[in-house]
Amino acid sequence: MLRIFHNTKYDFIKWWKVAAIATLVFMGIGLASFAVTGGVNYSVEFTGGTLVQLKFKEAGDAGKIRSVLEAAGIRGAEVQQFGAVDEFVIRAQERSLVSQQAAGAEKVADRIRVALVASFGESAFTVVRKESISPKVGEELSRNAIIAMILVSIATLIYLAFRFEWRFGVAAVVATLHDTIVTIAFIKLLHLEVSLTVVAAILTLLGYSTNDTIIIFDRVRENLKTAGKDALYNVLNRSINDTLPRSIMTHATTFAAALALLLFAGEVIRPFAWVMAFGIFVATFSSIYVAAPVLLWIEAKFPRKAASGAAARNASGDKRSSAVPTR
Amino acid sequence: MNSLRSRLLLIAAAIGLSVFALFPRPTKVIEKKPDGTRVETTKSLWPLKYGLDLQGGMHLALEIDESKGTVADKKDALGRALKTIQNRIDQFGVSEPVVQLAGDDRIIVELPGIDDQQRAQDVVQQSAFLQFQIVDKSNALEKSLPRLDAAVRSQRLDVAVGAPTAVPGTTPSAAAPLSGLLSGDTSKKAAVGVVGKADSTKAAAAADSVAKDANGPITKMIQPGQFAGQYFVKQTDVARLSRFLADSVVRSAVAPGKVIRLGADTIAGAPGQGAYRPLYVLDSKPIITGEFLTDAKPNSNPLEGGYIVEFEFNAEGGRIFRRETGRHVRDNMAVVLDDRVVTAPTINSAIGRNGQITLGGSGLQEAQDLALVLRAGALPVPLKVADMRSIGASLGQDSIDKGKLAFGIAILMVVIIMVGYYRFSGVIAVVALGLYIVFTLAALAAFGATLTLPGLAGLVLGVGIAVDANVLIFERIREEMDRGKSSRLSIDEGFRHALTAIVDTSVATILSGAVLYQYGTGPVRGFAVTLVVGVAASLFTAIFVTRTLLLVWLDRTGGTKPLSI
Repeated sequence: MLRIFHNTKYDFIKWWKVAAIATLVFMGIGLASFAVTGGVNYSVEFTGGTLVQLKFKEAGDAGKIRSVLEAAGIRGAEVQQFGAVDEFVIRAQERSLVSQQAAGAEKVADRIRVALVASFGESAFTVVRKESISPKVGEELSRNAIIAMILVSIATLIYLAFRFEWRFGVAAVVATLHDTIVTIAFIKLLHLEVSLTVVAAILTLLGYSTNDTIIIFDRVRENLKTAGKDALYNVLNRSINDTLPRSIMTHATTFAAALALLLFAGEVIRPFAWVMAFGIFVATFSSIYVAAPVLLWIEAKFPRKAASGAAARNASGDKRSSAVPTR
Repeated sequence: MNSLRSRLLLIAAAIGLSVFALFPRPTKVIEKKPDGTRVETTKSLWPLKYGLDLQGGMHLALEIDESKGTVADKKDALGRALKTIQNRIDQFGVSEPVVQLAGDDRIIVELPGIDDQQRAQDVVQQSAFLQFQIVDKSNALEKSLPRLDAAVRSQRLDVAVGAPTAVPGTTPSAAAPLSGLLSGDTSKKAAVGVVGKADSTKAAAAADSVAKDANGPITKMIQPGQFAGQYFVKQTDVARLSRFLADSVVRSAVAPGKVIRLGADTIAGAPGQGAYRPLYVLDSKPIITGEFLTDAKPNSNPLEGGYIVEFEFNAEGGRIFRRETGRHVRDNMAVVLDDRVVTAPTINSAIGRNGQITLGGSGLQEAQDLALVLRAGALPVPLKVADMRSIGASLGQDSIDKGKLAFGIAILMVVIIMVGYYRFSGVIAVVALGLYIVFTLAALAAFGATLTLPGLAGLVLGVGIAVDANVLIFERIREEMDRGKSSRLSIDEGFRHALTAIVDTSVATILSGAVLYQYGTGPVRGFAVTLVVGVAASLFTAIFVTRTLLLVWLDRTGGTKPLSI
């Protein structure tokens, strides 16, 4: 039998302070980046606006496309090479341009096309993708995305409260919240474009992270039954160690799939793949270093009335529990 | 081993059903021929529906355009517009189009495989409001020009437009550009031009302020046309004139009972002269509208070449049309489509139920499209595009190819990891993974779900996540074996202990999937469906199939050998 991390007895939770500092620093860098360079890069789906993806017959020049658009009065359009040297994406999200789309979303895309045909010729390129979103639709989509995020969190909270108890539910949701913030910081630092697909990736990641937390909590619940006088601190550590081989294996296979997406599935899906690949680490981290310490903190703050579980004893006595946040 | 047999039968049945669901079957598809027409053929196709982002196509969301007047009963108007669009799309010829209401205020149109977006958008969005209006013969425009000019000035519409063509000195006199414009058939048309000029001088005499105001903002853009009521405007002035005429004060300065309409097509001028656009003054009350139409079909124009659209009125419409055209013999009748004059022929005698519209210089495809929208009826309200996405078929195919590659590589890596670590049990997990993929695809096909690019990504990711249930079970079995239990007992216990965690994670994932489905749009919905279907398939394969395979192994070995795990 090939084994990895078998029967380990690591004291994972001992490092919670270090972990907390690490994640706070990461969030801080993300936040600073927000303060310095503004918000994340929202796709036209959310801001309203126009995206045109072009494929040229031969290698193109982003600078030339940009100057053609400027000359045609389409100001502030972002021109980016997209994967191959002959493919470009034009994004027009400038507010004045977007507001013109209220009267008809396709107007700016048509102007871009006309301007490019006039200077490059009809046959020099083809428009392979076009998205024209009026500001109103953009607002609706962002509202829906936010509602979706909140609903997923609430649904998870209710389900966990029902299957476990509210303490576990809250701990899992705090971990989820942490994942969201860290992932947004990651998206910001990598300048990934936040599109609907990326929101889907974040939600998937939240589900994945919750799964990971559930697996550990399921073990905690089971271990609590036989824990006797053992403190919750030790039960948590034991549960994390028990589930360690599973965690490593599942994260490895999922990461392999995310890596395949990142490397081979093309430019359109790449932001999705980045978020998933990063998210696997975040999920692992938060299950151990967010969900577990928060659970300990809740236990200390709101001890169980019934002394049947070992958890109630955790708040007092045990020396090791001093390493747990008790405020 | 009765239960084992029934287990195997169930799995076999599931595989059988899946293969059936995935088997290529004859599907009706609409193909585009090189000449632009579409024909329906039957092809044997893999029954998995691709989303617009994978097969290419166009998504349109349309809203009522209230900038052209408010609409009292929006919901009713939108419902009628939906029917009209459905009608048009059915005749347009697209495989599996979607035309549906979204919310209270939007119509969604999805046209898979469409590569000619502009044309498709026109067919959907064109109001196709057909009117027949008599061209004015009373020089109403000349009489109201002073008031029009005054209105433009009082509204200050002519300021802040520093176009070089507006310099008064360079504005050509009425007759000069006209002879240059009519380059082809000079003698005949120039003669018409002279008639036009005579008319305008007469009008000038009637209202002598016209002559004084030759530099009036509207007057200087307008030149007489080939018959009374028709005028020409330089193509470069059209945008400015349209802007003037869009103003309500200016509009109200037009003679009562008359409207000004631009022509649909431009007319090429002499070399160096630029193009011209005809402008018409019409009786505002149409003699008849398109609502009486029963049929319209394209045809080639036997006399002048080009194309025509022949139309037919119903009995009542025919009566009205005969009466009105009989009353206006020798007058010009403008065929006005969506407030643009398509053609304005002279009425030679009363016309009954059948008539035709001559299209200037348009191709067969345009004639076809016009006939189509006329048949399907006018849109009750003007619509504007709220959101449009289109993806070329080549980009979609590229995404499919790359997605398949990523899918294959993900499977390969997962197989290596699982077999490398769990050995024989890993092989069982891989078999279960294979079935997971078959079941997921089959379920997507059976439910008619749409596979989108994010959905494809979800499928690839699912390969990695699906083995989680197997990993949980195997780790539990290992733990039980560590405690010295027999293979049979360990397998039983392992499944029992792992079950709660597997169910809890699955439910949590299905919950997120449901929320995503509810609040997502097109591609993201496809992703949510893939996610939920994948979880269900993974539950079945990991819990049921893996267990059955392990039971078969136990049956073969008698449960005496230690399990390779």
